[in-house]
Amino acid sequence: MSPRICTRCAKAALVALVGGCSGPQSALDPGGAAAEQIATLGWTMFAVATAILVAVLALAAHAALAPADRPAWALREGWVLGAGLAFPIVLLSALLVWSLSITGQGADAPPAPFRIQVVGERWWWRVTYLGPDGRPLFSTANELRLPVGRSVDVELTTADVIHSFWVPGLAGKLDMLPGRVNTLSLAAGRAGTYRGQCAEYCGGAHALMAFMVVAETDDSFDRWMAAQAAPVAEPTSDETRRGRDLFLASGCPACHAARGTPAVGAIGPDLTHVGGRLTIGAGLLPTHRGTLAAWIVDPGHLKPEVRMPAFPIYRGEDLRALAAWLESLE
Amino acid sequence: MRGGALALAVALLAGCDDGEPASTLGDPDRGRTVIARYECGACHRIPGIAGARGKVGPPLAGFGRRAMIAGTLPNRPDALLPWLRDPPAQVAGTAMPALGLTEREAGDVAAYLYTLR
Amino acid sequence: MSGFPNPLPRPPEELERLRAVWRAPSGWRLISAVNNSYIGLFYLGAAMLFFVLAGILALLIRVQLAVPENDVLPQATYNQVFTMHGTMMMFLFAVPAVEAMGVYLLPNMQAARDLPFPRLSAYAFWAYAVGGLVFFCSLFFGLAPDGGWFMYPPLTSYEFSPGHNADFWLLGIGFIEISAIAGAIEILVGVLRTRAPGMTLDKLPVYSWAMLVFAVMIVFGFPAVILGTALLEIERGFHWPFFIAEKGGDPLLWQHLFWFFGHPDVYIIFLPAAGFVSAILPTMCGTPLVARRWVVLALVATGFIAFGVWVHHMFATGLPKLSLSFFSAASMAVAVPSGIQVFAWIATIAKGKLRLTVPSLFVLGFLAIFTLGGLTGVMVAVVPFDWQTHDTFFVVAHFHYVMIGGMVFPLFAAFYYWAPTASRRALSERLGRWCFGLMFVGFNVAFFPQHIAGLMGMPRRVWTYPAELGWGWINMTSTIGAFVLGLGALVFLIDLARNFRPFTGANAGNVWNAGTLEWLPGGTSVTRSIPIVTSLEPLWDQPTLARDVEDGRYYLPGTATGRRENAESCSVFGAEGHPASSKAAHRRSTS
Repeated sequence: MSPRICTRCAKAALVALVGGCSGPQSALDPGGAAAEQIATLGWTMFAVATAILVAVLALAAHAALAPADRPAWALREGWVLGAGLAFPIVLLSALLVWSLSITGQGADAPPAPFRIQVVGERWWWRVTYLGPDGRPLFSTANELRLPVGRSVDVELTTADVIHSFWVPGLAGKLDMLPGRVNTLSLAAGRAGTYRGQCAEYCGGAHALMAFMVVAETDDSFDRWMAAQAAPVAEPTSDETRRGRDLFLASGCPACHAARGTPAVGAIGPDLTHVGGRLTIGAGLLPTHRGTLAAWIVDPGHLKPEVRMPAFPIYRGEDLRALAAWLESLE
Repeated sequence: MRGGALALAVALLAGCDDGEPASTLGDPDRGRTVIARYECGACHRIPGIAGARGKVGPPLAGFGRRAMIAGTLPNRPDALLPWLRDPPAQVAGTAMPALGLTEREAGDVAAYLYTLR
Repeated sequence: MSGFPNPLPRPPEELERLRAVWRAPSGWRLISAVNNSYIGLFYLGAAMLFFVLAGILALLIRVQLAVPENDVLPQATYNQVFTMHGTMMMFLFAVPAVEAMGVYLLPNMQAARDLPFPRLSAYAFWAYAVGGLVFFCSLFFGLAPDGGWFMYPPLTSYEFSPGHNADFWLLGIGFIEISAIAGAIEILVGVLRTRAPGMTLDKLPVYSWAMLVFAVMIVFGFPAVILGTALLEIERGFHWPFFIAEKGGDPLLWQHLFWFFGHPDVYIIFLPAAGFVSAILPTMCGTPLVARRWVVLALVATGFIAFGVWVHHMFATGLPKLSLSFFSAASMAVAVPSGIQVFAWIATIAKGKLRLTVPSLFVLGFLAIFTLGGLTGVMVAVVPFDWQTHDTFFVVAHFHYVMIGGMVFPLFAAFYYWAPTASRRALSERLGRWCFGLMFVGFNVAFFPQHIAGLMGMPRRVWTYPAELGWGWINMTSTIGAFVLGLGALVFLIDLARNFRPFTGANAGNVWNAGTLEWLPGGTSVTRSIPIVTSLEPLWDQPTLARDVEDGRYYLPGTATGRRENAESCSVFGAEGHPASSKAAHRRSTS
């Protein structure tokens, strides 16, 4: 092995041991109370289970390898019942009581003055913020924003098949089932970006159905809410103006809405503030004019079976203009 | 100590190259990170970059031996660097947008692209 | 033992007539054989073929996942491959393999000459083999199902799966389930009725008990999934909306029907394997099983509790907390009987002196892996923890630990252990050790890291994942392990090719000095006579038993009717063990 590979291996091992289990989508890196409780539960069970496993293996090894004169205990049935019946019943009862106490708990953070409705669609997430009166405030896609320290009720439904809404850093998963509305209470204890992903196999591009949850301080969250409620701003350059006109002229509004323009399509994601989202294609690519352009002309290659048709119809500068306008919708 | 070994290995490996301008343009390893971060792979098929399988633009395999950029510019560092930073300024009709690469990022990306032979 | 039912010497032509009656057809007509020793081996061979094929699919999956954003398998192919892998391993390998072992072993272990309905087992085998092959071949035409092995509607209904792929699954699996039920009825009646005289339920081998519970569970569990597949096929074919919410159906109905079968199915697969262990360990330790009655009770208890745990597959569906609590408690409770068995096996090892043969190694490997899988099983039975780990690679790791650890390792132990009853030569101890070592190391390297991947957020059934989530090294490790595991299976196949010689009319004999009746001389043909059973390990307790049986001193030393005859016993008490209870009581023409 060359020293370079050695170093790389050592580094990888270290990363694996120390920081390797954290990450934007890790249940071992909780950012909210619900996920934290479960992580504590998990680590405790892991410790006890390790102890039991080691004990059982040691016992088996001792039994198999001990010298020929058998210990007296081995010849009695009693310990089989003690270890196999009494011990697990006591332990499991305790575990059951503890876990049920967590099962019944909601988040204890103060509630936010809005709710979020998330609809799973093949293969993206339609996100609508609802005001206190239940009326929709605005619609976005593949991204939720939360104020830190507030608990937000997220209403989960589906437009087609079963999906499952899962942000490991914040809470356990909850399915999105046809004909049902499941409500998950999300609360982030610290600011940050958490990645979520569909956890129930939904066919086709299930692997590419992710989303982002951004938890931020009250100030920046309020600014974001205000910005989301606003319609599309008038383009400020020739390029973006041309981009908007192309958007309206080439059929995009049949599926997409951009509030403040004649585009009110509701089949695909609302693009009113697409440029301000972290990703496009449901967590697939970072949002910028390059990825937007690629997505417009060849979405099916980037995300197989995606329902958006390809639009390989633009000259170079037109495609750039369209992507630039979308990028400007912050 | 380990860092020294790494530097030595890099030097040895670099020594095996046949005198490329790559080393003066930037760091190819960093260039790979830049390419991944900007998702150049959304449009280009690029060897060595995970998931870079785009079919919008030309594949970049063997870029180091290619004669022309965008079918228009000579494939030399003095043409590649401005092209990477602002393609439409070099070739007006191109679909490749300016992504705002810094000079250093462009150098690193160019260094990586020239390793593709 | 004084007084045998039949006096010596036996008429000289009697043995030849007996052999002629039971002789299997030769040449290509062998496929028309119906005797359990033949059907059992055919059945097992087909199950192993599907194991290898589904294993190759597993390696394809691992190749695709080895590095982030890989494109060896395109999305649509990957979705078909993982669906076929799961479906084949569960329906075409696991259940048929243990059923096949039952068909092969039970009559021999109970010193009967066949199961009660030999043609029913032949039917079960052929329906399964042909159906399974057709099902597998759908992969080559791009028609393989791609809805995941539990086929949740509405994804699998007509709107979202308009092709014929899902129909292949529903019809293929429907037929295979019918085959499984046919086999289960055969085994159920076989355990209860085709036993040697004197074999009361109290002297029934633990393996037979396991198969009895297995068969009862199939008879109760499988109709639920047959109903489910029928309803879904009707929905697909005629648009009757059983599972479509907006038309008044309910997608959760499918989940209830499927898991009411699906969870017991796990124990349906595990219990026979536990039966293997309870049969192999006493031989290898040279002592009867410790706490035998508790082990039998544990098998029966598992059979009951297993039907009360299915909702733990649905913890994340938003069901009321009260129901979740009940099913969480039941799911934990089902660990208790397994615990009893584990400690009974360890006690048996402690009591006797374990010979470290290949079957013993596989049993020890099973103990380690299954214990770990059982512990993670308790973890996922905990509702909040399941909310994080459900449908992730943690669960993938868990069920491979319980299924490969709990079923494949005991099955390989069983192959090495019982091969000498079927083959002229035993399998190689040397190759067997390699096979075990590679499989054990490969398995743990492949599947242990997947726990971590799941906790780090990797959902199951994804064909690709982004590099920045840090799952790459885990998946690469896992892929390397999977290939080592596959290498272990390859060593086994080499061993089979070199040493396994069935259907020769002779076998390697009682090479392990076992105490149970499948080790009576006779090979794949039948024993010369059917003994009277007086204990659990007759061959240990009656040193002359093998010779007396061979001499034809016991029941049915020849053929009375000129056709095949079998032992028949009362369901509960077995036939009485003294010769005065007329021979006719044990005679029944089965041909």
